[in-house]
Amino acid sequence: MPLRSFTTSAEGRALAGVCAGIAQALGVDVTLVRLIFALLALAGGAGIVLYLALWAWSSSDRPFWAILLLLVAGSTLLGALGVSDRGIAGIVLVAAGLALALRQGGSFRRDAPLSYGGIALAGIGTVLLLQSGTAPTRLLAPGAVVGALVLVCGPLLWRLALERDAERSARIRTDERAEVAERVHDSVLQTLALIQRHAGEPRRVATLARRQERELRGWLYAARPLGDDGSSLVAALSAAAADVEELHGVRIELASAGDAPPENAIVLAAREAMTNAAKFAGVEEIDVYADVADDMIAVFVRDRGAGFEPASVPDDRQGIRESIRGRLERAGGSSVVTSSPGAGTEVELRLPR
Amino acid sequence: MRWRVVLVDDHGLFLAGVRSQLGESVEVVGEAGTVADAVPLIKQLDPDVVLLDVHLPDGKGDAIINAVAPERPGVKFLALSVSDAAEDVIAVIRAGARGYVTKTIAAEELTAAIGRVAQGDAVFSPRLAGFVLDAFRAGDPLTSSAELDELTPREREVLQLIARGYMYKEIAARLHLSVKTVESHVSSVLRKLQLSTRHELTRWATQHRLV
Repeated sequence: MPLRSFTTSAEGRALAGVCAGIAQALGVDVTLVRLIFALLALAGGAGIVLYLALWAWSSSDRPFWAILLLLVAGSTLLGALGVSDRGIAGIVLVAAGLALALRQGGSFRRDAPLSYGGIALAGIGTVLLLQSGTAPTRLLAPGAVVGALVLVCGPLLWRLALERDAERSARIRTDERAEVAERVHDSVLQTLALIQRHAGEPRRVATLARRQERELRGWLYAARPLGDDGSSLVAALSAAAADVEELHGVRIELASAGDAPPENAIVLAAREAMTNAAKFAGVEEIDVYADVADDMIAVFVRDRGAGFEPASVPDDRQGIRESIRGRLERAGGSSVVTSSPGAGTEVELRLPR
Repeated sequence: MRWRVVLVDDHGLFLAGVRSQLGESVEVVGEAGTVADAVPLIKQLDPDVVLLDVHLPDGKGDAIINAVAPERPGVKFLALSVSDAAEDVIAVIRAGARGYVTKTIAAEELTAAIGRVAQGDAVFSPRLAGFVLDAFRAGDPLTSSAELDELTPREREVLQLIARGYMYKEIAARLHLSVKTVESHVSSVLRKLQLSTRHELTRWATQHRLV
């Protein structure tokens, strides 16, 4: 029962130590408690009976007597307050009924004969209350009925709610496991199967492993759905890099500072630059760095490969002219290609935000 | 000069791969797979460099650094990891690691990085450089007025080039500096990363993950 438990206190006691015990349990001055008991004792002796009741409650393992004494104390007090006999009987019955129902309900058992007995008692008490003429007691009746219902049904509903919660979290766990299994199957297991089939082709194996690693990382660490390339600039660049890696068997290291919503023009231009590097530089690794500042997105695509003489690129080479420079300029950006034979190439793409 | 190196990683295959790929300038004198094994081993062997995985079965890499560093101040740590949460990488750097590289690093670059760390310099992967740039990005001027909380324009330039994939000697050539100067800029950034109280650093690390 959620009652604050107290024990009689040997320390500073006058009689059995009930007042001192209450004062300790509630953290108030013992004199105040004694004063209240003395005042209650003036009300037809209710304080004395209450004292006995609490003493019985704390010192014996027979709460029955304590409850009985409590009821006597309550009725004495009500009598002293001028409540009619019938009203007192009603209130006492309701209280006893509620106590019984609570006792049974507290055990969380579904079959609760005592609860029904308690409800019956409370019901009789309610009827008595309704018949008694005074207004304040009449107000107690509906409250008593509601209280009894809550006491009887409450624990049952509570337990049902707990069971439903447990069921739901179990279902969520199962769903999560199923989702993980599905993802692992769709990606990791497929890749492992492919790797076994292509064991003789180191380049292909490396590419497969690389792509799988990138996907898993994205999923595990960036909370990014597998294959998602639309949520941010870095995610889109990462997806573009993965495509180029797979198509051309290179490794692309992507670093970034900051992130932004995806910008098609610069992502596609960067992808084109990566493709060019993969096709013409003759290297295995390409570095890509995206720097997102407040007013500017800059993407650098760099390789340490063959390089070329920028002036010597024929006009009909579509790649740089159209896919990179034209695309960016139409979006309001710019591009610079730095390259010389033997010293690698760096493509610098800028787009104002 | 052959650097004496201890490898700490719980993946046997990876250990074997690293051991076979490291160059002539590196001698692997010991290996451990857990924090509990690594701490006494490192204290006993007193190597030049410890290559340290950020995640181990019984703890994180910074636990090893914290346990070893007071007794063996000469041992340098280089964090080597697959993708990890930025907060873990920052923890290992702030515990005293001289750098962080990803496990996909080419063998000769790893060998070079070990030599650099052994000599007291710092090593940043492009990813870590990008991260540091982001974390130190000009923020609230009131909270970032201290010298430790701000990168100099030169340090910013150097870090940007690292993020773009430039090696130290390429950076030196491009900025008309000596390699030594580039190294000292990176070491200075490392010091700021380890000592700065800049609040963006912690916030950044908890919000982002190095991928």
